[in-house]
This record gives sequence, C-alpha cells and structure tokens, in this order.
Amino acid sequence: MSDEHFPVIVVGAGLAGCAAAYRLAKAGYDVLLLERGKRPGGKNVSGGRLYSYALEALMPGEWLDAPLEREVRREMIMTMTERGAVTVNGLLSPNHSGTSYTVLRSKLDGWLAKKAEQAGALVMTGVTATEIVIKDGKACGVLVGDERLEADIIICADGANSLLAENAGITNKVTMENIALGVKLVVGLPEQTINDRFNLSGEDGAACLMVGDCTKGLAGGGFLYTNKESLSLGLVVDASSIKSAKTNIADMIEELKEHPAISPLIVGGQLLEYSAHLIPEGGLNMMPKVFDNGLMIAGDAAGFVINSGLTLRGMDYAILSGIAAAETAIKSIQAADYSAEQLNQYEVMLRLNVLSDMETFKKVRGFMKDTAGLYTAYPKLAETIFKSIFTVDGRPAKRISKVMINSILSHTSVWQLIKDGVKGALSL
Amino acid sequence: MKRLSVDERLARNKFESNDETPHIIIDRQECRNCVHKACIYSCPAERYQLNADEELIFDHVGCLECGNCRLVCEKLRESKPGYKWNYPVKGGGVIFRQG
Repeated sequence: MSDEHFPVIVVGAGLAGCAAAYRLAKAGYDVLLLERGKRPGGKNVSGGRLYSYALEALMPGEWLDAPLEREVRREMIMTMTERGAVTVNGLLSPNHSGTSYTVLRSKLDGWLAKKAEQAGALVMTGVTATEIVIKDGKACGVLVGDERLEADIIICADGANSLLAENAGITNKVTMENIALGVKLVVGLPEQTINDRFNLSGEDGAACLMVGDCTKGLAGGGFLYTNKESLSLGLVVDASSIKSAKTNIADMIEELKEHPAISPLIVGGQLLEYSAHLIPEGGLNMMPKVFDNGLMIAGDAAGFVINSGLTLRGMDYAILSGIAAAETAIKSIQAADYSAEQLNQYEVMLRLNVLSDMETFKKVRGFMKDTAGLYTAYPKLAETIFKSIFTVDGRPAKRISKVMINSILSHTSVWQLIKDGVKGALSL
Repeated sequence: MKRLSVDERLARNKFESNDETPHIIIDRQECRNCVHKACIYSCPAERYQLNADEELIFDHVGCLECGNCRLVCEKLRESKPGYKWNYPVKGGGVIFRQG
C-alpha cells in the first residue's frame, strides 16, 4: 500500500481520541482515527464515573443520547475494617448541577467513535500504531506494521501505557511510582434488584467509594458503581506498593466480594467481565511535555488524571484535552504551521481547566500515599467510635466525648491524628 | 457470589488471541536470575507462573493488556535482549464487552 497523507491522525479511540476526532470532523477537517482494538471501546476500561460537563463541552445537547448507565444521585463513602464498615450515605437533591453518570466504556467509546465517523472522521480499527515517524525534528506520521501513514499533526491518545510517545523519545518512561493498578469486576444483576439494594428509584444511580481494609493497608481504594443492569466493583492500588508488599490484587478483589458490607450487595450476581487497567496518578510530577513539533499528547497518555483524595478523575480531562488538541490542530492547519511554537496553544488552553486543576490537587496524592493511617488505623477508629456509641451492655455509661477520646487512643495517638489532620488540611 | 479463580474470571471475557505470536516476550533463562519476580504477583491476570522446573513462563492468552508487568520488570521496561513488550496487533487479544 502506498503512503497516505492526512492533515491529522489521532491514535487511540478512547475518550480523548474520540473527542479530538469528533471535533475535527465536525469542523470539516479530514481526520484519521486509529484504534488497536477490533472495535472502538474494545480495549478501554474505567472505574466508571464520568462528569457530564465534559460531554456537554464536547457535544452540547447531543450527549444526552449517549449510552450512559445511571445518573449518580446517591453518594457513599465507606471506611472498611476487616469485618466491619462505617458508611456515609447521601442522597443528592435532583436539582444539583454538575451531574455525573456511571458508564461502561465499551459502549460509550463505541458510540462516540460512531459519532466521529458520522461527522466525517475516518475510523480504522484493529490497527496498532507502533511508532511515531519523526523527520527533521517533526512528527510527520505513524507506522502501522510496515505501512507509513503521514500527517501534518499527530494527536497521541494511546492511553496510560503510552508506548508511542515513549518510543519516539518524546516522553520519559512512566514509572511504577506514578501509576496505580486498577482491577474491576462487572457483575450482572436485574435492574430492580439493584434499585432495591441501593435504595434507588427509576434510573438513578449510586456511587460508593471505599477506603481501608479493601486494599489490605496499601495506598488505594475501592469503588462500587451501579450501572443499569450491572455493578462495577473494583480496586485501585498504588503499583509500587503492590510490588513492595508482594500482594496480589487479583486475590484482593475476590476478598472484597466476601466482605460483609459488600457481599449482600452483589449476591446472586453473575460475573460478566474481569478487567485491569493502569491509571497515571502522578499528576504534574509525571506530566510529559504535552506537545512538540507536529505532535500533541492527550488523555491518560499525557497523565491527565487527578487524585482528589476520594475520587480519581481522568475521563472528563481526557475529553477536555481532546477538545483542546482539536481546536489547536484547527488553528495550526489554518496557519499552515505545525511547529511546537504554534502548538503551544494546546498547553495554553489546558491551563484554563485540566492543568489548573492538576495544580490545585498536586499535593493530594503524596498525602494519600504517605498517610498509612487512612488505610488501617482510621477505618478501625471510625468503627470503634460507632461501636462504642451504640453498645449498651449494662456497664456504666460514658459520655460520647469520652468514648471518642478512648477510641482515638486505642488506635492511634492524638499527636498522630493532629499531624495527619494538619497535613490533610494542607494537601486536600 | 462465590470466589472465582483468575482463570474462571478470565473465562467470562472475550479473547481473540493469536496462539503463535505472544505480544510480550521474556527470556526464561535470564528470568532465573531475577531477584524479585514481581511479575508473578503483580499481574492481575496471573499470566506469569513458575513451572515444575522453577522456570518462569508467560501465557499471553488471557492477558488483560494493562501493562503493569512492564512497570515492575526492569528487563521488559528497558527492552533488554530477549524481552519485548508490545500490544497485540491486528485487533488481537482481549476484547472488552463492558469496559
């Protein structure tokens, strides 16, 4: 096959890649979207909560037709001990803005790629781009096997484990210290059963975040999201902690299934899928140079993920970065200038949202990683306080303040609690 | 829900793997010298195992393509001779139906 030339090639039909291709095609520009999976979405995994403002920014109004699972109305935070849990459970009023939806990426990304295609993008699947071709210091194409596809601009959106930019020497290799490993079980259950178990009505959804014994003391946490007719149950654990603790996350997730706070929620369910994925958690510390001559890096490949302490956000930033890459590409094509100076516009646009958020949360991950109490002592403390308050055994009663102080002293020291509290206040 | 082994879990997934050409290559002899063998417990699909001769074997069929082995193994990471980490080509490998 002869070499082909495109104004823009986007590598990877995840949220960033689809967003970029959709925007470019919608604006009337020729764009080629390459996806290594047999179909778009076939290689993509997320925990499963997407903030809809990003979809609105991408395709105003149109996203309401997207295959989203449930709108999250019930929010739960669970601190877990080995056999117990203390949960804060909030039902949000219907008029709150900034909605979020649970999603299954195979369906969502497939739909988005279709939208890009309908807008005029050329989508090629089952195609693994192996290398970025660099000529005279400028990215000018990608290699797919022996075939060379040429472009004025490459948008590299090939995910957390981005081999492309790394092989081209544009980014440093990601290190284990900046990555978390996620595993997920999708458990099929009838819609009504899910509504009953999570106290939901209609198409409302629940999101439960877990911290504590679910990760066996390692930095990380668990999640449980309700989809229409399934639950997404998963764990995200710091990759370097797994290596040093010699723990197996594949067993950890099965143990989580049997936890007394989780097991009744999933009982009778059928496993539909088991998946794993890397999450670039390092934030600004690991962020590569996100543009170069003829090249922009978007989504997970650029490390656009925020650990806000309780939640990990990446999907909305992937979409925003895809939009910014497309807008920058359009300006660049109009100016017929594909240099890094011109593409600098990409970073300027990102500073308005993605990068400023990353700056805001830059200290959080360090705090979450270094504060061991979050995963062992504090969940135990929460349980002890609850237990003490609600235990009536005929022995002399104690005032709640006394119960709390005794509980604190049995699991940590007041000094440690103050130290972690201050550190937390400064980082979170 | 009863406990499931990794193989039982992987059996629920869809894979279209090419049996002949693994996308990840390791050197069994060289792996004998590895002091941590972190791939064994770091792989969420348990694709790295020791055989009866204490040799490390990798079964690419069933790989979830997460990339964690490339982070924990210095040799895969640096593409040392005998080691190669790539994604499957031509749409092969895992096909997530949920994601």
